[in-house]
Amino acid sequence: MAVMDVDKLKARFVGREFDTSEFVVKHEDALTFARCCGETDSRYSDPEHPDYQAPPTFLARFVGRRTMPEEFPADEFRGAFDGGKLVVAHAPVPVGETLIAASQIADVFRKTGRSGAMTFIVHRMEFRDRAGTLISTVDWKLIQKEGA
Amino acid sequence: MVDFGDEFQFQPDVSMETVRTFVKAARMDFWRFTDHERARKDGGLPGAIVPGIMSQGILAAAIHRFVPGGTLRRIDTIFRAPVIVGSSPLAKCVVTHVDEDEGVAEFDLTLENEAGETRVLGTAVVSLPPTDERGDE
Repeated sequence: MAVMDVDKLKARFVGREFDTSEFVVKHEDALTFARCCGETDSRYSDPEHPDYQAPPTFLARFVGRRTMPEEFPADEFRGAFDGGKLVVAHAPVPVGETLIAASQIADVFRKTGRSGAMTFIVHRMEFRDRAGTLISTVDWKLIQKEGA
Repeated sequence: MVDFGDEFQFQPDVSMETVRTFVKAARMDFWRFTDHERARKDGGLPGAIVPGIMSQGILAAAIHRFVPGGTLRRIDTIFRAPVIVGSSPLAKCVVTHVDEDEGVAEFDLTLENEAGETRVLGTAVVSLPPTDERGDE
């Protein structure tokens, strides 16, 4: 992918919401997630705790109905891999509640390292409760090696 | 209370049984996480790999073990290389900054394999528990 393409992608897609999906934070899933990760804090591992909640990184498991905008050139990113996740916890993740997540492309940029040039796509989901309170922001970095 | 330079580590369970339980709960039950042979044959991987979000969850759990009562505000993880299912990785945290006035600490995080190679790395920002909950004043 040429540098110009990255600029075009950025101009066309960054910051535009392209999907809204609802997710239920299921009790069993949240508890199993916590236990498998070795969580010992009773806020996350003990449903009887007065502040029981899902682990702060739990929402990173959700993906929206669409993972990319409709007109995004997904074919050019077929070999992309998951480069990492950023979770910003704004409020406790409520168990048993429905959250609404809005997706956008937060950034597109290019880096050149020892293994060559790579294009990064930062996919962002903002999770809110029904009252509109921001619960969590999850960024997912997709990396496409150029020429791959 | 944590101080600059303090370190903590624990060995998470990334056995096939635990990873299979995790991927069912995370709704990501894919062969690259649960089938060594197919991960090698069809995925070009060294074996079944631990999902990135499980590695991230392990590092969050390490923070909670290190700072009981602390609240994770931000965790940024980079999946540099695969963590193999059934291996014996080590989750490590080191304190890189403490702001006592704000009650916040920052950490560097790594998940290393048995050879001491970093597979996942990251940073975290944590709100420290109130002084009367720390039990060390």
